[in-house]
Amino acid sequence: MISKRVFPWLDERLGLTTIYKTTLDRMVPKVNWWFTLGSATLFLFVMQLVTGIMLSVYYVPSPDKAYDSIEYIMTGVAFGWLIRGIHHWGATLMVITVFIHMLRVFFYAAYKYPREITWTTGVFLLLATLGMGFTGYLLPWNQKAYWATTVGTSIAGSVPGIGDFILRALRGGSDLSAVTLARFFSAHIWMLPAVIIALIGVHLYLVIRLGISSVPKEND
Amino acid sequence: MARSSNVTRRGFITSVMAFAGSIMGVVVGLPIIGYLISPALNGAKTDAWVPVGKLDNYPPNVPTQFSFTRTKVNGWEKTVNSYSVYVLRGDGDKIKVLSTVCTHLGCRVSYSKDSDTYACPCHDARFSREGVVLSGPPPRPMDQYETKMDNGTLFIRVLAS
Amino acid sequence: MNDIQKAQYNEKYKRAKRNGEKFFPDTLYKDLLIAIALFLLLVGLAAFIGVAAEPRADPSDTTYIPRPEWYFLFLFEMLKFFPGSIEWVGTTIIPGAAVIALLLLPFYDKNPNRHWKRRKFALTFMSVVVAAMVFLTIRAVITTPPQKDVGAVATTLPAKIAAGLDFYSVQCNECHGAEGEGGVIKGVKGLEGFKMKPINSQDEMYTRSDDTLYNIIEYGQPSLGMPPFGKAFGGELSRSDIGNLVTYLRYTWDNRVELPKEAAQTNAIPTLGPTDIPSYDVNIAPIVKRYCVSCHRPGKENNNYVMGSYADVMNSGDHKPNVVPGDLNSNLIRMIHREKIDAGGEMPPTKALSPDLVAIFERWVKAGAPEKPKK
Repeated sequence: MISKRVFPWLDERLGLTTIYKTTLDRMVPKVNWWFTLGSATLFLFVMQLVTGIMLSVYYVPSPDKAYDSIEYIMTGVAFGWLIRGIHHWGATLMVITVFIHMLRVFFYAAYKYPREITWTTGVFLLLATLGMGFTGYLLPWNQKAYWATTVGTSIAGSVPGIGDFILRALRGGSDLSAVTLARFFSAHIWMLPAVIIALIGVHLYLVIRLGISSVPKEND
Repeated sequence: MARSSNVTRRGFITSVMAFAGSIMGVVVGLPIIGYLISPALNGAKTDAWVPVGKLDNYPPNVPTQFSFTRTKVNGWEKTVNSYSVYVLRGDGDKIKVLSTVCTHLGCRVSYSKDSDTYACPCHDARFSREGVVLSGPPPRPMDQYETKMDNGTLFIRVLAS
Repeated sequence: MNDIQKAQYNEKYKRAKRNGEKFFPDTLYKDLLIAIALFLLLVGLAAFIGVAAEPRADPSDTTYIPRPEWYFLFLFEMLKFFPGSIEWVGTTIIPGAAVIALLLLPFYDKNPNRHWKRRKFALTFMSVVVAAMVFLTIRAVITTPPQKDVGAVATTLPAKIAAGLDFYSVQCNECHGAEGEGGVIKGVKGLEGFKMKPINSQDEMYTRSDDTLYNIIEYGQPSLGMPPFGKAFGGELSRSDIGNLVTYLRYTWDNRVELPKEAAQTNAIPTLGPTDIPSYDVNIAPIVKRYCVSCHRPGKENNNYVMGSYADVMNSGDHKPNVVPGDLNSNLIRMIHREKIDAGGEMPPTKALSPDLVAIFERWVKAGAPEKPKK
C-alpha cells in the first residue's frame, strides 16, 4: 500500500506523529460541557474568517458604494444572503461564547497558577472580539451603522484631556467620513484579525502546554 | 480490552468528524462557489436597437464613424460602455454597419481615407472598406450589426453579453 | 501562591490527568457536537431570520435614534446615570477599571483556593457585575423608544424603480406631467400658467448625472420655480427616497440605460384581457396613483376631490358623485375625455390619458365600477 510508504516518509520529515502525540493523543482531566466554549469560539472565529474573506470579494469600503455593494451581496449575488447572514449572526454568537467562556474560566478559577498568561491573552481576545464588533458595525454604512459609530466614537471622545485627540484618531478627522470607514475597514479585516490570530496561537499553545484545567474539587 | 475499545471509539469519532466536516464543507463550500462565480452567470445581457441618426447624414460610399454609449448595471455600479461603428452606405439602400473592434484581439481599427482600408494598430491588420481581411492575423471579417430603418432613422441592433 | 502550594497543585493536577481521559477522542467529541450545533444554528439564523435591510446612512436625518449593537447596550445605558460633568467617569474610568481589573485578575487574586465554596467573595462580586450588565441591557431595550418606522427599504432595482415611480406620481406629476412631458401648469399655486419644459428628453437625461438630478430634487431650483424636496430643506423626501426617484428617472427616460427584464414588469399598469372585468384595486388604483393623486390629494387645489381610496374616487369633493356605476356620462369619464363641464376642465390637465387607459376606465364604469376583482 502506498500510504504505508508515503506516511513514514512524510512523518520522518514533518514529525506528524509528534504533533499527534502532543496535541491530540494526550491525557486530560475529565471535564464537563462548559469546557467546550473555547473551541466553540474558535469554531465561530473560523466561520467569521471564511465568510468575512468571502464578503470582501464584493464589499467596497467607500461611503458612496459600501451600502450599494452590500445591497448587491444581499440581492444580486447567489448565496450572498447566506454568507452575510452567517457573518452577522456569527458575530453575535461569538460575543456570547467568548463572554461565557470567560465566566466559566472565572468560576472554575482556571486563571490561577499556572495559567495566568492564558487568562491575560484571553482578556485581550475578548477585547479584540468586541473591537471586531465595533468596527464591523460601521461597514454597511446604513443608518444604524452611521449613528451607532457617531455615538460610539463620541463616547471615546469624552475621555478627559485627550478625548478630542482620541476622537480624531478614531475617526481620522473631526467628522465621521470616508477616512473613518477606510480605517475601520482596515482595522476590521487586517489589524484586529492579525492580533486575534496571533493571540489565539499563544492561547492554544498555552492550553496544550499546561493542559486543560480540571474541575475544582471541594478541597481545592 | 479497554485499549481496543478506545481504538474503535477513536476511529468512530474520526469518521463522524470527517462526515460532519464534509457536510459543513458542502453546505458552506458549494454556496461559496456559487457566490464567487455568480457575476459570471448573471451578467445583464444587452440587446437593444440603437439609433445612429438619419441615413441622410451618411455620405454614400464613405465609411463614417459614429460613437455612442450604453449604460448597464454591473453589481453596484452602472458601467458605461462606449461603442464606435463605421456606417457604410453603399449604392441604393445597401447599408453596412461595421464594428470597430478588430476580430483578432479586440483593438480598435480606424479608417484611413488615403488607403481606403481599416487599419488595426496592434498587429498591422488591414481590412477593406467592406470589412474583408486584406492582410494580418484577424480570423474573420469585421463584425457587422443588424440594421433597420424607421422613419428615415437608421437603427442598429447591439447585442452583448 | 507559594512554592508548596504550587507543588501541591501540580501534584493534584497530575493525578487528575492520570485519572482523566484521552483528549482525542474522549474530550474532543463534545467540542465536535457543539461545533455541529453552532453550525446548524448559524445557518438557521441566516436562513430564517437573516439580516434586516436598513436605510442608507443619512447624516442629515436628525430623527434617527442611534443605538449600538446589543452587546454594547449595557455601556450605553450606564451613561444615563452619569450627568454631563462627570460623564467621563462612565465612559473612561469604569470601563477602563473593568478592563484592568480583568487583565490583572490572576495577579491580585491571591486566594489559592479554587472551589467556589472557598471563593465566595470573588464569585459574589462577579455575579453582581454580570447581573448589573444584564439589568442594564434589559433596561436599555425597554426604555429606548422604538425607531420611527421608515417603511420597507427597497433593496432591489425593481423595488427601487417602483418606489421612485410612487414618489414621482405624488411629488412631481402636477408640474412635470405623468411622463415628464411638461406643458402649461394648471392648478399649482404660484406657478399657474408657467410653461414647463419636458424633462424626459435626451437633452435632460444625457447632460445631467445622477448626482445632478439628485441635487436638483433635493435643493430645488427656486429661481426656476422648483421647490426643494429634500427633508432637510422643507420637502417630504428622505435621501433614499430621492435616490429611488433618480433611479426611476434614469431607467425610464434615459435610452442609454438598459432596464433589466425583471424591472420592466414592475412598472407596468396591469393589462386587461378582452373578457376581463376591471376592478378598482387591480386596474384603476395604479392608474389613479400614477396620473391623478399628485393633485388630487389633501392640501392641493382640487375642488376637494381626493383620490386616495375607492370611496373617495367614487364620491368626494364639491361635484360628487364622480363615478356613477354603469353611467358613461359620469363626471370622471367625461373629464378624461377632455370635455369641459361644470365640475372642471380636461383631466389630466397637461396631457390626455392614452386611449388604452381611457378604455380601462370606461370598461370599469360599464361593469358597475367594482372595487374588488371577481374571483
